[in-house]
Amino acid sequence: MNNYIEKKILPLVTKPITYLGNEVNSVHKTPSEEMIRFAFAFPDTYEVGMSHLGMKILYGLLNEEEDIWCERVFAPWVDMEEQLVKNNLILYGLESMMPLNEHDFVGFTLQYEMSFSNVLNMLKLGHITLESKERNEGEPFVIAGGPCAYNPEPLSDFIDLFVIGEGEEVILKIMDAYRNWKKAKGQRIDFLKMAAQIEGVYIPALYEVSYDENTGVVKSFTPLVEEAPATIRKQFITDLDSAYFPEKIVVSYTETVHDRVSYEIFRGCGRGCRFCQAGMIYRPTREKKVATIQEKIRALVNETGYDEVSLSSLSTGDYSAIETLIKNLVEEYENQKVSISLPSLRIDSLSIEMLEEIQKVRKTGLTLAPEAGTQRMRDVINKGVTEENLLETVRTAFEKGWGHVKLYFMIGLPGETAEDIEGIADLGQKTVAEYLKVDRNLRNKSLKVVLSTSSFVPKPFTPFQWMGQNTQTEFRSKQQQLKAAIKDRKISYSWHDSGVSYLEAVFARGDRRLGKVLKKANEKGCRFDGWGEHFKLEKWTEAFVETGIDPDFYALRSREFDEILPWDFIDTGVKKEFLKAEAQKAQEALTTPYCPENCSNCGIMEFKKGWKCHV
Amino acid sequence: MSKIQYQFKRTTPLRFLSHLDQQRLFQRAFRRAKLSLEYSQGFNPHPKMSFALAMSVGLTSDCEYGEVNLLDELNSDEFLVRMNAVLPDGLEIIRAKVCEAETNSLSSSIEKSCYLLKVRLAPEIAFVTVADNVESFLKRPEIMIEKRNKKGKMVEKDIRQFIQSISVSQSDGDSEQVEIGMTLNYIDQQCVKPELVLDSVNRLYGEVFMIDPTIECHRQELLLKAGF
Repeated sequence: MNNYIEKKILPLVTKPITYLGNEVNSVHKTPSEEMIRFAFAFPDTYEVGMSHLGMKILYGLLNEEEDIWCERVFAPWVDMEEQLVKNNLILYGLESMMPLNEHDFVGFTLQYEMSFSNVLNMLKLGHITLESKERNEGEPFVIAGGPCAYNPEPLSDFIDLFVIGEGEEVILKIMDAYRNWKKAKGQRIDFLKMAAQIEGVYIPALYEVSYDENTGVVKSFTPLVEEAPATIRKQFITDLDSAYFPEKIVVSYTETVHDRVSYEIFRGCGRGCRFCQAGMIYRPTREKKVATIQEKIRALVNETGYDEVSLSSLSTGDYSAIETLIKNLVEEYENQKVSISLPSLRIDSLSIEMLEEIQKVRKTGLTLAPEAGTQRMRDVINKGVTEENLLETVRTAFEKGWGHVKLYFMIGLPGETAEDIEGIADLGQKTVAEYLKVDRNLRNKSLKVVLSTSSFVPKPFTPFQWMGQNTQTEFRSKQQQLKAAIKDRKISYSWHDSGVSYLEAVFARGDRRLGKVLKKANEKGCRFDGWGEHFKLEKWTEAFVETGIDPDFYALRSREFDEILPWDFIDTGVKKEFLKAEAQKAQEALTTPYCPENCSNCGIMEFKKGWKCHV
Repeated sequence: MSKIQYQFKRTTPLRFLSHLDQQRLFQRAFRRAKLSLEYSQGFNPHPKMSFALAMSVGLTSDCEYGEVNLLDELNSDEFLVRMNAVLPDGLEIIRAKVCEAETNSLSSSIEKSCYLLKVRLAPEIAFVTVADNVESFLKRPEIMIEKRNKKGKMVEKDIRQFIQSISVSQSDGDSEQVEIGMTLNYIDQQCVKPELVLDSVNRLYGEVFMIDPTIECHRQELLLKAGF
């Protein structure tokens, strides 16, 4: 098959090199009968998936085990999909080119809801029975994790096991259970029951959900067997500094979205922005030591040959020793022409001087995320950034010669008024004013301020998990309002939403009944919903109508505080009581302090024995 | 400062690299091999490295040339060993020589390029027909093709001067496939793609060859005026 694909199929598709799995540092093993074959699946294109840090960690970790071969598989682009189907070929693990359905595990990472249709499509292209309950003995176990697994319910018909929380420790326990199960020659269900007893593992087939006939909300969530715990506790690594991180990562031949060494300097975030799911589910904050970071980056640069290193985290400027770290890295790599980049910077967390230090040559764009246009709204979402912070930052940037500033906002936030929308335009105008204040000789010759808005999607496990999303009509009218409020030609406005945020809202807070919709949408050919040119809202609308499911129920409805939410059985460590209190504070535009300054008792401190924040 | 010129080959595992992919690959390989590259000046410094010819996606080759400017002196054996230790399966450096940093680039020195192509024949085309057609094709004093110029306009161009020779032989055990040897000339750093030559045979004699991306194209030799 390999030879046939190489000779007859790949010459016909775009980016054929991404379907061969022979990149530098890719892992190739000699398979044996006992070897566990694990296909790590990223439900989006190669270029997107190869930029994902979690995959690199788990790929390395699993392949450290002698008797496990972990390979990668991505959603084939539409031309490759067409060839696979036309030639009756099965989607395969890249490294061995073995069909997906011959693997022991197919593991999906769920990074965004809009990739759910790709999960189904990849199972189908891998010739794996779509629904978990119909899968035969001998078929792979389909496992999933990542942020969207925190509300696993919409995918529960298709996934055998979910891992809730950080996968590094859990995945090895699951592999152990599998080895034992294989020795015992058990049935499929036996393995699922074994895995259900591992903390952090959720097996949807072992639970039953009932819904209220009148309201449609969840009435009960019940384990069906004694092996299945009533509550699933998310898993997190206590000692991140000594946690596994690979020294070799696969270096792609084609350009990927983040084509660089991406090294995680800390996990979690203590800012407590109320819209941000990551900020809640990845708690607590855990840092790596400066020395560890430097040592690991050195090894990675040596092994990959990359000329750029990005320090990743949810808010890189919040790393406690960020200045020392940057200084050390710049010193070490300046002469080697390796550049350091910092994604996810808060406006108030890092000085422009520091930015200049690392971006010695190129002054490309400066991107900042005030998230909301007025102080009141920034307090509602607990962003904790002030207008002064922003204007001071842009002024310094203009003095240093920056000329292109991009500002990110969300619209559709709770309690939003016309004033908050106009505040976005206003902030753009004030940014222009700061530029004009700067001496002609210092500032860049041209100025471009780009305001960008996205439509807010309320997410589970955030203080806004109970709110109804704005309707598409409301979003459109807010976009029009903002557009009309912009008077200066130096300011441009970009927005994007073609119903994607609505669908995202449906699946983010969906329940098991959405499985029918996903299946129907898959039959109608939905996939690559995150890619504008392939997103077909009308197909989804048909799928909802034909399955008799009202998407507004999930996206637009405001929930009562005492309602049983579909994801309530998952314990993230952040208490529901805390989220409720935060929701109420949001209504009064009251802020909550940054964790290290003052603990607000979210619950994570008591969640795991022996854990203490900020010591 | 010095310059290293090297000859390398690219085999099947990496034949689908694009020119940019290959540039990136070499740049990273140089870093893994711990070579100190010379960088250009300016706002966006880039390493001084190049290839004599861009390779198209799908092409395999026994004979390609590349060059790179280094900050320090390194002997050619050391270069060869260190690079081959870090290059992935599918790329291999065969020879290397150290020269002055100012040495002219290799791309101006290319004289001829020899290809071996494996091509399927159009339905019901016999091998003798192909041989006859090619023979007649080569007897033509001029072979005009239509080509889009830099401004996007279609212009006529005579490609006869680029074609030195074409030979056709039958593939072992596959009557629908032929092997074509082709030697093409470089004139003022210009040449013609071998697939285009086959295409112009088709245009003149009716569909003889099946021309699609599954044609296997292999460069056997790249001759430099000055030798290597």
